Amino acid sequence: MKRCGAIYSFCVVHSSTEAFQGKTPYVLAVVEDNRKKLMARVEGYTEKTDIAVGMEVRFLAEDEKGNPIYSFG
Amino acid sequence: MRSVSVVGIGETRFGRFPETSLKELILEAGTKAIANAGLRKEYVEALFMSNFSGQPFSGQGHLGPLAAEVLGLGHIPTIRIEGACASGSLAFRQALSAVASGMYDVVLVGGVEKMTHQSTEAVTAGIAGASDIDLEAGIGATFPSIFAMIAQRYFHEYGNVRDAMAMCAVQNHENALLNPDAQMQKRITVEQVKNGFPIADPFTIFDCSLVSDGAAFVMLAATDVAESFCPKRLVEVVGCGQAGDSLTLASKGSMTTFAATVRAAHQAYSMAGLSPAQIDLAEVHDCFTITQIINTEDLGFFVKGQGARAVSEGKTAINGQIPINVSGGLKAKGHPIGATGLSQIYEIVTQLRGDGGPRQLKKADIGLTHNIGGTAATCVVNIFRGR
Repeated sequence: MKRCGAIYSFCVVHSSTEAFQGKTPYVLAVVEDNRKKLMARVEGYTEKTDIAVGMEVRFLAEDEKGNPIYSFG
Repeated sequence: MRSVSVVGIGETRFGRFPETSLKELILEAGTKAIANAGLRKEYVEALFMSNFSGQPFSGQGHLGPLAAEVLGLGHIPTIRIEGACASGSLAFRQALSAVASGMYDVVLVGGVEKMTHQSTEAVTAGIAGASDIDLEAGIGATFPSIFAMIAQRYFHEYGNVRDAMAMCAVQNHENALLNPDAQMQKRITVEQVKNGFPIADPFTIFDCSLVSDGAAFVMLAATDVAESFCPKRLVEVVGCGQAGDSLTLASKGSMTTFAATVRAAHQAYSMAGLSPAQIDLAEVHDCFTITQIINTEDLGFFVKGQGARAVSEGKTAINGQIPINVSGGLKAKGHPIGATGLSQIYEIVTQLRGDGGPRQLKKADIGLTHNIGGTAATCVVNIFRGR
């Protein structure tokens, strides 16, 4: 079974710190996963992505520090 | 506890002064506050200094002795206090507590910040250090993005308030036009705010508070002592509350009500024996436009979910039911982090003394300041009454 989460809130980041400049625009969200809320990046955003609270996102992987990354669709 | 009053205030103009040193900012604002109190500096018994980023941005730590030396305060005890954007109010609360306890009769509280000599990216990264560096800043979160998530959640729970958010910025810019110490001296429109340079949806650059240099100082004295020397209207500190919340956004019980504000406000109102309806004016932490709306609800000025409509109806304007950020706020007066909480107190005391000049309110007897640090992880609320 695929691990999924639901968007509790989100934003599209256009202006970042230097460390993330190559990645803008990127999506950050607070995701509800297994009744726990956590902040995570959500990959796969394009200008056509219509993000909304409640939207399902798919667990993709953990980054090198163990923070989960999710994906649209 | 003894009654404590503000007897002196001083601040620099806020703005972009990359060539001005921390020492010069301290000297100007501190000297003004001491002179304003009408006291010789020898009467100052302790100094509480607020600063967030002296070390990372300027390589300068140990701000307590630095400020004491610059101001010629001799061998008095000093301490530097940090709590992100609430640093100034935290220093004030410690100073208040030290006088109220009877330990000192007269103390000085100062806040200073130098930010504009750094790049926007470096400032953004430095401030992001007031979030969780592993769970938030480490995955690309900035403070605008954290509060943008708060805004999106607010839209979900209470409806889209984009226009009212923009109106907060418009009103604060309008107020700043009447404040000679304000960094921003420019009228803006709702359309300009909404179409500004995008930072983190739904925020544009005009939804964000300013990057500023500046300093603000406040002198406190035991009220019975102050009565013997202070020529101006005494401004008594009648309420003070402080509360905390989780550092991370995801761990908060609610994103659209800040628990730290609700608790700190409750303490301050209880201590003062006052209700929100009795407050004549308030300086409210508007780090972002949505924050001002949420804060005015959490402070009890408006019912939850009605803060945006109140802005649109002019209730928070300078001639409204409860004028908010008559100074211009963090948005337009400026946000030199360590000085901000004291700058809010500067405005309330100025108004309560009737010294507001063109921005003076007709009725200003009871004023409130509200200052948060990080993602509302620290909050201080103060209430002042003119005697």
